[in-house]
Amino acid sequence: MEVFIAQVINGLSLGSIYVLLVTGFNLLLLVAMIIHFSFPIVVVFSMYIAWIVLGLTGNNLFLGISAGIVSAILLNIITAPMFQHIMKKRGEVDINSTMVLSMGLGMIITDFLSHSINKGFPIAFPDALTGRAEGAFLKIGIISMSRGAFLALIVGIIFVLGLFWILYKTKQGRAFRAIAEDPNGAKLVGLPILKTGFQSYALTGFLGGSTAILMAILLGSASPGLGDQLGHKVLAVSIIAGLGNLKGGLIVGLSLGILEALVQGYWTGTWSNAVAFVIMLIAILVKPKGLFGMKL
Amino acid sequence: MEQNKSGESYILEVKNLSVSYGHVNALKGVDIKVKAGEIVVLIGANGAGKTSLLETILGVNEIKNGSIHFQGREISGDSADKIVRAGIFLVPEGRGVFSSMTVTDNLLLGAHHNLKGAKSKMDYVFSSFPILKDRKNQVAGTLSGGERQMLAIARALMSSPKMILVDEPSIGLAPKIVNDIFDILKNLNSEGYSILLSEQNVYKALKCAHRGYVMETGNIVLGAASEDLLNNPEIRKAYLGA
Repeated sequence: MEVFIAQVINGLSLGSIYVLLVTGFNLLLLVAMIIHFSFPIVVVFSMYIAWIVLGLTGNNLFLGISAGIVSAILLNIITAPMFQHIMKKRGEVDINSTMVLSMGLGMIITDFLSHSINKGFPIAFPDALTGRAEGAFLKIGIISMSRGAFLALIVGIIFVLGLFWILYKTKQGRAFRAIAEDPNGAKLVGLPILKTGFQSYALTGFLGGSTAILMAILLGSASPGLGDQLGHKVLAVSIIAGLGNLKGGLIVGLSLGILEALVQGYWTGTWSNAVAFVIMLIAILVKPKGLFGMKL
Repeated sequence: MEQNKSGESYILEVKNLSVSYGHVNALKGVDIKVKAGEIVVLIGANGAGKTSLLETILGVNEIKNGSIHFQGREISGDSADKIVRAGIFLVPEGRGVFSSMTVTDNLLLGAHHNLKGAKSKMDYVFSSFPILKDRKNQVAGTLSGGERQMLAIARALMSSPKMILVDEPSIGLAPKIVNDIFDILKNLNSEGYSILLSEQNVYKALKCAHRGYVMETGNIVLGAASEDLLNNPEIRKAYLGA
């Protein structure tokens, strides 16, 4: 039973990261109307920026974390005009051209990371950030968590709650959801479409940057290929939940995290990806439109 | 502004307005005027350009030629969100409510640009439409056609508009509900809202409006007081089946 509880807690940390990534992806899909499946690669890029700044400043946590978050916001906002140019021309979700743009962006980032930073070797985040060296911060029976993992869990859950609060309780969130349901109708009630789209880039940038820091703490390392791996998972989660389904993404994201943690706890970590994908494969065969229905 | 010199004040003036979608000329030099406090109806068949005209006034379509003045100020070329902030709100054809969102969320979307007074506006709207109050936590997709039309009108009121554009409110509604909707529009007008209405239910629309314009293939072919249009033999023949 203790193993189970321990793994569920670990799974919640991992799951919150999936939820943040999937919701960022869905927001861009729904509000900015782009298929940005390289969004997780942007997140990994921000992990690298945080790592570089940590190295340059002698592990100044404030500067490192800020640099990671700011770089994701900036990268999202800088690329927004390209995506918006296409969106303005087409006025609808244009899967083909935004996908090519996103794919290109992802390849450039991955190539850059594998050639120019740390000679392409995986990077390891300092103990000052991850708290690994301190040993267990929280210990109940066999359940033990490092300070970093504990922090990542709490911050991850707060961010997921905050994000859904923004989506369902604020003016901007209401505009996001209205544009997501009917962009043309949203225009007719006077919602500023491009401005709101831009806000969604900024919000997802902030989410991406924060997720990057959480991943740095939780995983302790990153490699150029991490973005691709996460990209596949995020795409799979959002399709299985139902493309654009925010609540579905929340449930499936958390479930995937817990599932992977349980496989690691009871079987072996090396198989957790394969098991996750087998289960997702079955889910998509049974419900091709996603477990909770597409919202597009 | 020249109209002000002659003592009449127009809240909306559309002059020589042309709009095309690609090679299709949707509006070909349209002139209409609405006085403050008036209900004016656009009548005409499908494809005559009524919806194009309303949406162009709202700033959705690109204008090829001509101008639109609202309260004496030129609004042609402004974006839809700017025009909504200036005080024009559209009740779209087919209601245009967001069916996955609650009644309350739909209403708040109408007040997007001014949420400060939203609470008291919502109370006002709920006192006029008690049925919406009963359903405020339901998603709009569960409402009946008449309730959705009320929601779309109530959402317009949430923006504190000076002028409401109403596109084909009677479409797809039962005759009794249609009467209710026209009564609502008349009441709103008596509270001081100027209304520009497009309608295919010509008899009821003319009974409710002060003046009317007849549109055919992107042109205004006739404009007159409602009684005159109701008594016009050609209108009776073409639109009233008499």
